[in-house]
Amino acid sequence: MSARVLIFLLGVGILYLCAETVDFSKISGAGARLSDFAGRMIPPDFSVWPEVLRGLVETFSIAVLGTFFSCVLSVVLAVLASRVLMPPVVWRTTQGLLAAIRAVPLILVAIFMVGAVGLGPLPGILAITFHATGMLAKFYAEAIDQVSPAPVVALDSAGAGTVQKLRWAIWPQMAPVVLRDTVFRFELNLRESLVLGIVGAGGIGLYVQTYVRSFQYDKAATVTLAIIALVVLSESVNSLLTRRFS
Amino acid sequence: MTTALSLEKASCFLGGRLVLQGLSFALGQGDVVAVLGASGAGKSSLLSLLDGRLPVVDGAVEVGGICLSSSVARKARRKTGFIFQDFALVDRLSVFRNVMAGRLGHLPLWSSCFGRDRPGDRRRVMELLDETGLTPFADRRVDALSGGQRQRVAVARCLAQEPDVILADEPVSNLDPELSVQMLKLLTAQARKRGATVVFSTHQPDLALRFADRLIGLVDGQIRLDSPTARVHDADIAALYGASLSPYQQPPQRRQPCLRVC
Repeated sequence: MSARVLIFLLGVGILYLCAETVDFSKISGAGARLSDFAGRMIPPDFSVWPEVLRGLVETFSIAVLGTFFSCVLSVVLAVLASRVLMPPVVWRTTQGLLAAIRAVPLILVAIFMVGAVGLGPLPGILAITFHATGMLAKFYAEAIDQVSPAPVVALDSAGAGTVQKLRWAIWPQMAPVVLRDTVFRFELNLRESLVLGIVGAGGIGLYVQTYVRSFQYDKAATVTLAIIALVVLSESVNSLLTRRFS
Repeated sequence: MTTALSLEKASCFLGGRLVLQGLSFALGQGDVVAVLGASGAGKSSLLSLLDGRLPVVDGAVEVGGICLSSSVARKARRKTGFIFQDFALVDRLSVFRNVMAGRLGHLPLWSSCFGRDRPGDRRRVMELLDETGLTPFADRRVDALSGGQRQRVAVARCLAQEPDVILADEPVSNLDPELSVQMLKLLTAQARKRGATVVFSTHQPDLALRFADRLIGLVDGQIRLDSPTARVHDADIAALYGASLSPYQQPPQRRQPCLRVC
């Protein structure tokens, strides 16, 4: 039996074992319930618009501030995690720490933060900051490591100092990667902050939870439309920024 | 004539290997010198040594009257321009900003970091762009330029330093024959205009003979040839490369060859 056939059979076996853990027969009854939900959502109740707008602003603020604070922390950690700037013991330790941060689920961090600082947007900001830093610092460190040394040597030869080399040889090379990764992370933060309200960490998630649990699907529909609008708008702006600065 | 740079029994290591051994020569202000030698002979190491990027382990190296092993070596580097084989430009910056980078050694730290250039520096850079035919491209990003235009940016950046010594490490190795000639014409003309000393390495003896006043030939990190160009014989150059001299590298036939091999 060839290796390819063996891998194929192994793949099929894994799929089968995974499928065994799920009861797919429930799908047959789901259609009617889903159409019932959809029916109750139409027409959306726009009278809740002021509250939804407040929730959206709070969600947006959580994403913006979480991204900002994680950027600041990531710059410092990225320098420590860079293979070209730091000795192995420093970058290995820092990269291990970042991997550990990434391994903790956001929702768990948010629950801890709610316990630590109470309800509202602050635990959401702290949770996003903590979680995003693990990823952004890793990306920034990779950006530093990929900088071409030639322009740095050239400016060094021209008598430039360390700060001048950072500003005019290293930063211009890193900037598009840093911007792309930050914009990408902001999008992720925005999506993640939408659900943080469910655990009491602020944002529009709280309204989703409230309306769905109290069977006010028409109001939940308004929240859903607002979330879609926010995500589409953010994606468009981000793609514009990435194109402009690449 | 004022001595621009001098080496006295200078040796240096690179990667644990002795790459230059007991080099001694002196160049006057305004000299144009070509360094020849096969790959691995020590041409790039010699230029890096003169630029202060390779430490001197034995002997002495002075550039502009400053000993490179001393604590004021940085001052010498400010007066030493370097043109790299691949030009080492910052691709995402404009032509103007790349040329201005050559002046960083002369600029105050913080204002240079915020791009607040002094009027005198801006004027100097604009003059250089004009002299190198780059004025129409001043605001264009370097990665949007052709190979020939990039080489001119590299020359302009080097000249922006107002160097007394210009070092060029195989500046024409990535260029076609026509651009190679243009590059060396521009470099030597600008250097002569400013009275700067030029040391360039190349694998093309014909260009070395055409543009340099003096040739220095290296074999295994030692000087094997040091002679005014007019007195170099074809056989001298062939000896530097052994059997590796390809037909296109053959120097043009010269009258009254006179050999001087160190």
